[in-house]
Amino acid sequence: MFQKILIANRGEIARRIMNTCREMGVATVAVYSDVDCRAIHVLEADQAVALGDAEPAASYLNIDKIITAAKESGAEAIHPGYGFLAENADFAERCEQNGLIFIGPPSPVIRELGDKTVARQTMIKNGVPVIPGMTSPESDPETIAREADRLGYPVLIKAAAGGGGKGMRVVQTHAEIREACLSAASEAASAFGNGSIYLEKYLARPRHIEFQILADRYGNVVHLLERECSIQRRHQKIIEETPSPVMTPELRERMGKAAVAAARASGYVNAGTVEFLLDADGSFYFLEVNTRLQVEHPITEMVTGIDIVRHQLAIAAGDPLTLVQEQIQGRGHAIECRIYAEDPEQGFYPSPGKITYMKEPSGPGIRNDCGVYSGFQVPMEYDPILSKLIAHAENRDAAIQRMIAALSSYVIAGIRTAIPFLIDVLRSEAFVAGETFTDFVSSHFADWKPERKDVDIARIAYIIDDLASQRRTKNFSGAGVGVPMSPWQSLGNWRR
Amino acid sequence: MNYRFKTGEETLTFNADPIKENQLKVFTGKKTLDVRYTVINDHHVHCVVDGVGINAFISGEKGERTILIRGVSYVVSDADLSAQTRKGARDLTKLPQVITPPMPSVVVRIMVAEGDSLQRGDGVIVLTAMKMETTLTAPFPGRVAGINVSVGEKVMPGKILVDIEKEAEDAPAK
Repeated sequence: MFQKILIANRGEIARRIMNTCREMGVATVAVYSDVDCRAIHVLEADQAVALGDAEPAASYLNIDKIITAAKESGAEAIHPGYGFLAENADFAERCEQNGLIFIGPPSPVIRELGDKTVARQTMIKNGVPVIPGMTSPESDPETIAREADRLGYPVLIKAAAGGGGKGMRVVQTHAEIREACLSAASEAASAFGNGSIYLEKYLARPRHIEFQILADRYGNVVHLLERECSIQRRHQKIIEETPSPVMTPELRERMGKAAVAAARASGYVNAGTVEFLLDADGSFYFLEVNTRLQVEHPITEMVTGIDIVRHQLAIAAGDPLTLVQEQIQGRGHAIECRIYAEDPEQGFYPSPGKITYMKEPSGPGIRNDCGVYSGFQVPMEYDPILSKLIAHAENRDAAIQRMIAALSSYVIAGIRTAIPFLIDVLRSEAFVAGETFTDFVSSHFADWKPERKDVDIARIAYIIDDLASQRRTKNFSGAGVGVPMSPWQSLGNWRR
Repeated sequence: MNYRFKTGEETLTFNADPIKENQLKVFTGKKTLDVRYTVINDHHVHCVVDGVGINAFISGEKGERTILIRGVSYVVSDADLSAQTRKGARDLTKLPQVITPPMPSVVVRIMVAEGDSLQRGDGVIVLTAMKMETTLTAPFPGRVAGINVSVGEKVMPGKILVDIEKEAEDAPAK
């Protein structure tokens, strides 16, 4: 096993990887940009290396700086986390060239699967079903417009290098396609350093189901069951669960086999995720392989009891896989809610700023993978994820109830989060019934506002806080020397 | 003592009478509530309202605070204290006609040029914040009178990014 690894990421995922490293006795090196000098991954690492300017291209996306940091700190391997350089084949290749082990698949595999259009071609050749659409990337909006006319609207523009909803646009009519292409390409270029885009037919009400896979260097491949990730806003997942409410043992068997076949077809090594869209009639289509640790991996860890990061490190160090498919069993039900700094009453617009106070939920079956703390200034430069709250219970209903209770006791003050929105989604009849299609948010929660039934109590809390702060001011100014005054003694007469 | 709270355009008066240490009788205008409370720290108050215990978490500026209760946030504005902060906010709402970012952002693309005529809802400028792009659109039909920013610039809320001259509704015939 490695003595020391560098984690080329920030926030909650860097911290989560460090936790496993600490358990395994592997020393950790963090990297950070100027605005992140007080970030939690810097505080918890054994060692931290400054990268410079906050701009991702100058810091977390800067391959030269990260390779240098790894070599100078004596790290043997680099874990890329998710996002940033996680699916960058050039980065993996540069690690390989510099004698550093990239904790992920080999660079040619990332390159092939990372180009979503090449991946589509590979799957077609190996008999894995794919969604109708383009099999090569395009940059000319006119050509894309012609292709869209041929496929028929609505269509979905996707970034060839994409993931995480960046550079993705649903286009309903011919009139919108040009601006959508430009905007998607520019978003893709800034997120992935590659502005290529392509088209797929847009499926109206699919479910998003993915399979976690683990593969070693010796041709052993297993899957760690499915995750359902259909509740999305702006094409970014916000609630994930496992098992899927619609999964049957027979369908799991078929989809699991397709996932393992997809991994084998691409020569996959390390942890990855094969994503599918499942249509109402039970037919499923290959969407893409995410060649990284997924944001939502904790729900799989909760139901299988398997630490995926530990296996990633073992596979990268050259150990054979110790898991066999028959032994992998799910126990109970797990749900994850992503907690972003965003305002659900303002179209989920990001809400960076200082977290003035924070209290994390806890209790049986609760896990919070958290990348922030009370007093932390959430920077505007990066993805606004604050933490991932996971609830595990013996069945779906109990997991929903456990998650609602945990969300209700989760306090993040000073910035906005979608916590009240998530509570209402989990309480909704549609979610409880398992009707979790990817259009869930737009069809059930389009103009959502929270029910504010505790408004009188909020005003009472305001009054109490006002009385307490007057007392604090008085005490601080030394007005009541010797004897601390109670609020009604110390109150001035400015209130009627 | 009385507290006047803003609720939209109206104000609502709560009367709070200290009974003894850490106990209040609060009249909300509709009902009287018995409140006992413990101040846990600067941000956390535990109160027992008519026998039911509730945690409330407090943040924000004096006069306008955000209170979190059971995961839901409530903005409470004190009409006697928030005059100054409200004034700023009101000035902005008086000018709903401006192109200004809702939060600190970076300009990605300017979709218009000086002199362009715009229809309501036309895209004007594309901003990025935390890696997501947002398009600000024209709030009314008009003509682009000035562009005050350039691509790549960091912009703050309140800054007018693009001036749009409103199309005069009763323009004199030329």
